[in-house]
Amino acid sequence: MRTFLSLSLLLMSITASAQNAAPTWLESTLYGSGKINAVVAVVAVIILGIGVWMWNMDKRIRRMEGKGK
Amino acid sequence: MRQWWWKFLAVALLLFASIAALRVPLASALVHVSPDRIAPGPVEITVTGYNTRFAMEEVVYLENDGQRVCAKGVNVVDGTHLQATFHIPAGMKANLTDIRVGRLTYKGALFTAGLGAGITSGSCGPGTTKLDMTGLAFVFPNRSILYESIRNLCFHVPMWFTMIVLMAISVYNSIRVLGSNSLVQDQAAELAAKVGLLFCFLGLITGAVWARATWGAFWTNDVKLNGAAVTGLIYLAYLVLRGSVQDAHKRARLAAIYNIFAFVLLVLFLFVVPRLNAVDSLHPGNGGNSGFSDLDLDSRLRMIFYPAVLGWILLGVWMYDLRVRAARLAETLDR
Repeated sequence: MRTFLSLSLLLMSITASAQNAAPTWLESTLYGSGKINAVVAVVAVIILGIGVWMWNMDKRIRRMEGKGK
Repeated sequence: MRQWWWKFLAVALLLFASIAALRVPLASALVHVSPDRIAPGPVEITVTGYNTRFAMEEVVYLENDGQRVCAKGVNVVDGTHLQATFHIPAGMKANLTDIRVGRLTYKGALFTAGLGAGITSGSCGPGTTKLDMTGLAFVFPNRSILYESIRNLCFHVPMWFTMIVLMAISVYNSIRVLGSNSLVQDQAAELAAKVGLLFCFLGLITGAVWARATWGAFWTNDVKLNGAAVTGLIYLAYLVLRGSVQDAHKRARLAAIYNIFAFVLLVLFLFVVPRLNAVDSLHPGNGGNSGFSDLDLDSRLRMIFYPAVLGWILLGVWMYDLRVRAARLAETLDR
């Protein structure tokens, strides 16, 4: 459940920053160089998402290790 | 003894597909012309290419309704920029004029004023120059608006395929729960839905990023976007429903029935509704749009896309497998 919460917060922060950002900033980052940065951002989102999932899985196993002792 | 070979396959496929998706070059294309309006009289047009290598002997001409106007002079600035001078005759037929540099065409590049019954078509000679910057035969399609972001096809779309496979695993277990009343299968259904929701979120966020770069907004009122968001909410409600029932066997049956409805709605929202011709969609292959399969050289894109889809599905199933094993281990430790 915490994974979803953190991911929705991430989604919200992206949307929030979109409202404040000037078009020129996006022009130079997302649109620049053939829009390759859109790919960089997408790959980053996926790695971050899987990273958060791994972190939660790690916690789950750590809890079990505590019980096993 | 567990079967492990498919985990190696998952890693190998993801490695291959990710590297290829990021490294295969984009085909050469003309991406910009300035000015973008022409009227009868002399005009100098600056053409910008992407991944091109313009040569000195470039053949440049305009094409309006099949009639050609050859460039009077061509000045190649560098590999991606050239200036061509034209004398535009009066009486062009169509509103939009294509510009061609050798083998490359920019369709509808120039808005044309001063229309008439037609002009005498010029003969400009064949475009013989080599325009592929890389000289490689294996390139991704270069489409306006998308450009390099076409690579996202191999990252964003597999998220949805993975989610659908995980939700299918979930509903399969739910159907079995109705016959067996097994709490083990109920747990499998729950965990598959949870991992599936992770991929749903990843699909939504990556889609939002891609949409900003191509459609101009993080969220549009596209049917597929709203359908996907509603699907995510339906599965969130599934987890909320599970949390609200105390009795384990009652919860298993209730959740199983809800899950079957949820999967039916998923299929409706992601596959049926967006494909209706009555609705408007920005997604390729939806609302009467053509799919990516209509792109030239699409077979090259597919050679990377399908391994990526399979790799991500296997990774999703692997993640689900880990969750199930961890949950069962936790139960053993609790006893």
